[in-house]
Amino acid sequence: MISFILMVNKQGQTRLSSYYEWMDMQERVALESEIIRKCLSRSELQCSFLEYRGFKVIYRRYASLFFIVGTKADFDVRVKGIASDSDNYENELGMLEFIHILVETMDRWAGSICELDIMYQLEQVHFLLDEMVMNGYVIDTNKSNILRSIDLIEREGSKNEGMFR
Amino acid sequence: MSSQARGLNNFITDLRNAKSKEEESSRIEVELAKIRKKFNPGGGTKLAADGSNPSLSSYQRKKYIWKLVYIHVLGYEVDFGHAEVLALVRSKKYGEKSVGYVALSLLLRGSDPVMGGVIDTIKKDLTMAPMTKVGGGKTSSKGGGVKNDATQCLALCSLANISGLELIQAMHVEVQHILVSKGSTEQVKKKAALCLLRLTRTSPNLISGRIFAPHVVQLLQDKHLGVLTSVMSLLNGLASQQTEEYGVLIPNIVHILSVLVLKKDCAREYLYYRTPSPWLQIKLLKFLQLYPDAIEGHDIGMGGNDHVGQLINVVTRIMFETEVSDSINKSNADHAILFEAVNLIVAWGTTCPPEMREGAMNILGKFISVREPNIRYLGLSTMAQLAQIDGSVEGAKKHQATVLVSLKDADISVRRRALDLLFVICDTDNAERIVDELVAHLVVADASIREEMVLKIAILAEKYATDLRWYVDTILKLISISGDYVSDPIWHRVVQIVTNHPQGDLQGYAAATLFLAVSTHRCHETTVRVAAYILGEFGFLIAERPGMSGEEQFHVLHQHWYNVDTQTRSILISSYAKLANLYEECRPLVAPVFAKSKNSVDVEVQQRCAEYASMREAFSPEAVEDLLREMPPFEDKRRSALELRLLETEGENSAAVTKASTPSEVEQQRAMLNAQMMDEGMAPIDEQEEPELEEEMADGAAEAAEDEKIAAVEANPTLVGIPKDLIPAMRKAFSNLCTSPSGVLFENAMLQVGVKHEYVGAQGRISVFFGNLHATALHNFKVKVDQPDHLRVQMQGTQGLIDDGEGDEGCSIENKTQAKMLLLVEVTAPFDDAPSMRITFETEEGERHDYPLRLPLVATCFMEPVNLDPGAFMQRWKSLEGQDRECQEVMRLPPNSSGIDEEYMSRVSNIIVNGLKFGRCEGVDPTPWTVSGAATFRTGAKDVNGNNINVGCLVRVEANPKANAFRVTTRTLHPLCSKAIKNVSLVSIKLAAL
Repeated sequence: MISFILMVNKQGQTRLSSYYEWMDMQERVALESEIIRKCLSRSELQCSFLEYRGFKVIYRRYASLFFIVGTKADFDVRVKGIASDSDNYENELGMLEFIHILVETMDRWAGSICELDIMYQLEQVHFLLDEMVMNGYVIDTNKSNILRSIDLIEREGSKNEGMFR
Repeated sequence: MSSQARGLNNFITDLRNAKSKEEESSRIEVELAKIRKKFNPGGGTKLAADGSNPSLSSYQRKKYIWKLVYIHVLGYEVDFGHAEVLALVRSKKYGEKSVGYVALSLLLRGSDPVMGGVIDTIKKDLTMAPMTKVGGGKTSSKGGGVKNDATQCLALCSLANISGLELIQAMHVEVQHILVSKGSTEQVKKKAALCLLRLTRTSPNLISGRIFAPHVVQLLQDKHLGVLTSVMSLLNGLASQQTEEYGVLIPNIVHILSVLVLKKDCAREYLYYRTPSPWLQIKLLKFLQLYPDAIEGHDIGMGGNDHVGQLINVVTRIMFETEVSDSINKSNADHAILFEAVNLIVAWGTTCPPEMREGAMNILGKFISVREPNIRYLGLSTMAQLAQIDGSVEGAKKHQATVLVSLKDADISVRRRALDLLFVICDTDNAERIVDELVAHLVVADASIREEMVLKIAILAEKYATDLRWYVDTILKLISISGDYVSDPIWHRVVQIVTNHPQGDLQGYAAATLFLAVSTHRCHETTVRVAAYILGEFGFLIAERPGMSGEEQFHVLHQHWYNVDTQTRSILISSYAKLANLYEECRPLVAPVFAKSKNSVDVEVQQRCAEYASMREAFSPEAVEDLLREMPPFEDKRRSALELRLLETEGENSAAVTKASTPSEVEQQRAMLNAQMMDEGMAPIDEQEEPELEEEMADGAAEAAEDEKIAAVEANPTLVGIPKDLIPAMRKAFSNLCTSPSGVLFENAMLQVGVKHEYVGAQGRISVFFGNLHATALHNFKVKVDQPDHLRVQMQGTQGLIDDGEGDEGCSIENKTQAKMLLLVEVTAPFDDAPSMRITFETEEGERHDYPLRLPLVATCFMEPVNLDPGAFMQRWKSLEGQDRECQEVMRLPPNSSGIDEEYMSRVSNIIVNGLKFGRCEGVDPTPWTVSGAATFRTGAKDVNGNNINVGCLVRVEANPKANAFRVTTRTLHPLCSKAIKNVSLVSIKLAAL
């Protein structure tokens, strides 16, 4: 399952994070900064995966933005011992392309997405992410479906009160 | 797109402009204080019943909550404002509710006590009347319906993200209902599915598979791929908990998969670069991996219409028709599916048609040689899985060279996978090569991977060492290259293995090697520790060698004293005590060290010194002797500490862990040898292992294989072997010697070999004399004695006589003189053959002679008679009944023999008593035609309590004078003992006839 999704600029500052497992803040900050440091120090010629403390991290870089997805073995599958370790994780290339469709969806919503969009459209990015990932699993990859929900929120938000701007 | 509240934007801009982490956090402190004040102004302001501040406007409340969310995302603890979040959730306005739920998911956890206050609201939102569908599924109005729907979604999403036991108990019925209800829209269903997954994860067995499976069938009919994707996540979760209950769904899953793969039938929005939803395909394939037996027993070749045939078609299509595309996204998506299909083949294991497994191996073989790092990484990782299937490792071994290239890749992720794969494909055949490569790479490997490499090298070297000396060398190399990464368990293991393998010359070798390793002043502290321990235990084995006396052992160790920490010193102190005990000359060297360290600040060092120093005064010499004796063999745990370490770092299902915990063949053999030694011979032995040994024993000296060698030797004109006509006499001489203390083992015109042997308990002293009967001197005379694992042998003899494999000249024996060899042996385990002794020499005429002989050193030499009364004998005789412990053989005497009479029987009884050293038990032999006896086979091996291991042995010889035959039955605690005694008895009885 997906444990967390991070959007990070090339200075290593987290611009958005979403965790699907509860983690103490201290632990979370330590983990996040170590993973970001590792991702940022890797070259273009290296693969998009890294293993760190039981997480398989899949990341992709778009200009100055890093999208980092941390996945973990599914707990109950592991207990059964049915599958070998690669099966318990999310499919790596699948996740890599999931990052891409996430970016494409954001692009369709905001033009070409950039760091500032994510910072200043905090709410919408959260809503959008919630339409694509829930509880650590992919819900939907249909851009129209996803964006329809965002539209609704924006419409309803502005209808009920004009102050929200 | 609407923009955010200005205050929020300003705050974000401030943070963005922060020059340092300190500036950022002080800005956040200010903001938190401000928000706290807004939420609870104190003074006259009254808070609402739920703890929120009613005077805040909707705009303000949302703005502050978003600020808190942002602060939280940046990694700061946010421990207030929960009441305001709940107020938003309770709001009737969708705009407020949506913010409330997002904040709820991010800021709170399900177990938080404040959750209790919001259960009712969530429940109400969940069960909102679903919108009514009218005409073609379009919503009746844009108002209530869509909004209710969306509200339901928000509640589901939040519930899924936070979970919590209380929430689950309150909601799971509703969530299940929403999921299967016909009235729910796709939007709601897909979220309900994932929400339910979260609920079942937190509290398994919430849903009974038998009841729920039919509902899943319904859900799988959905044409909406978003619903299918979510339902598949749910199904994978459920099926991994109750696998059997969901097996009935396999045909449905195969159907969906084949529509996507074979027909490429998929709604346009779900095509990802022309590939039908790769994420759904992955999930479908993952589901099938839960059923490794799915295709077992089906006739796959037929293709047919059944789902198995279809499944095979699908997998075949994915495997062989995936191509590299110009678009990296297309390629990645297709390869994602391909790798998942290979994972399915891995799950099927040996039930999968071999051509598919081979196909997969070939594809992966290509992948691990491409430059694209992602594909290479996954290729290595998947190959490590595939190679673990029985019969696939050979295919993977072909790629060994390619894998070694990736081991040197610049990317740590790739290197790790390569290391893992090498670990998996390593076996007895290629262990030396792989381990040497790994050791060579260790020199340049960077710190991040060193510890892992060291651990894996240590495990491989132990697992696949055909010669444990190589193992000891490898670990020493590890310590010298990368000593800081050699953890304690690794060197403890070396000590354990050396201690537990007294066979061969491992202990002496280890002692000598470590002596050399610590002789240099610069060596790693871990080396000092191992050396201290090993020399303390086994230093005596090398004390006779030049330059390695006890005193010198002390000096090489003590030169490190001032450079090592207290833990190492403690080990050194114990070794010194042992040295001082063995060698008089060490005592004055050791005493001052003890005297000085008695005042050490370290308690352990202090205690050891004080105790060792006063030991001699406090105890009797025997007790001291006992205390400082060699350590008994270690108990062999099922999982070594190294495996546990690996388990810790890699988790239960890692390929490496599985591999490490399965014993290799070599290990099993070693374990078996040890078991023989340890278990008083209770270990069952594979019968087929021994047949030729039995032959050898019965025939005495040169058996079939040796005969061939002799013949080969004869073919070579300058090399002379044992003439064939001499062999029967030789066998007889050998057999005679087995039961008599001295005699001639071999004699021809040139050479006479005499043997004198005597035994006490497990120890024996064998003198061998080589007399020159030739007219001239025999040169380059060498004797090579085989040192089997079950014997500890010490040899000495005339200078140059003993062939130690170093190609020395050998000695010369003048005419009418003799050379001598003395063997001191101790038996450590039951055995049933005799050690070989090869004699080679040259005459002055230039003829080279080569005689393969055997020493008459058989199991019965180590017997000690036991006198039993008839009752006790019969009781033991009965208790040892059973196939493993009993050996029986009937032998007919040759027709020309004198026949069996009472005189013959007295000779037989004499053989049993004096030759085989059994105690005769006359009471159980009512007639003169049977002879019964009992004895103990003594070994020098110790059991866990430090007592010598002995094997009780019983024998019965029954004669049938009419048939001119004997029947020999032996019953012992150990199959090898039974066999050996039977063989020696038969041969001796036969000889007595002549």
